[in-house]
Amino acid sequence: MSQARQYELVYIVSPDATEQDVADLHAQVEANVARYGGGMVKSENWGRRKLAYRIGKHREGTYVLEVFTGTGELTKELDRRLKVSDHVIRHLCIRVDEELRLAERTKARREADQQKRIARGLSAGGAKQRAEDEGGDDDQADRAEVS
Amino acid sequence: MADERQGRGPSGPRGRGSARGGEKGGPRRGMFRRRKVCRFCADKIDYIDYKDAKMLLPFVPERAKILPRRISGVCAMHQRKLQTAIMRARLLALLPYSTD
Ligand SMILES: [Zn+2]
Repeated sequence: MSQARQYELVYIVSPDATEQDVADLHAQVEANVARYGGGMVKSENWGRRKLAYRIGKHREGTYVLEVFTGTGELTKELDRRLKVSDHVIRHLCIRVDEELRLAERTKARREADQQKRIARGLSAGGAKQRAEDEGGDDDQADRAEVS
Repeated sequence: MADERQGRGPSGPRGRGSARGGEKGGPRRGMFRRRKVCRFCADKIDYIDYKDAKMLLPFVPERAKILPRRISGVCAMHQRKLQTAIMRARLLALLPYSTD
């Protein structure tokens, strides 16, 4: 609860829309983020891309990514506005802070484990090393059997 | 210790050899297949990004169905993350739902 919710919004603008339309959409998103007390983190225009499948009559579209912090009310409002927009043919808004935090934790834990293993005087790939040693013992056993 | 090994010796290698020859293509085949390791674990990838269609593409071959992990060797945790990423990418037409 203490940490801000971060969202990623990707929307596809119709290829019929002008560059001004794309700029207006971005401005609208920015204005709403500000109005609801959120903050912009990143904005990317991926340019015109071919769609993996047809959406309506469209085979391509301009992709825009907006990353921002904010509240559920903000995303609800953005969702509503993008849905009624004539230029936006598809959009997806997802919360990402929890997954990103989880990924960070996993990474930190793995690095800590690595440190511990080094501190214990084992090599970084401790398990692998042991497996190889056992393999060596087997070879010796085989030789003993043959002779 | 050495005696035990000697005793088991003669039957050991021969027994193993005949099993290998007799069960060609049988259930033991799996033992000789290279064990697959989850490529996300190996590459230490903690976050699978739905925006990276190029990375996801090998996991939706041919008819664009998600590659089962028994074939790809991806671990359960990463398969779950992969699934979510592929579904998001499909929604945004970055990946196809099906080919044809
Ligand atoms: Zn894995």
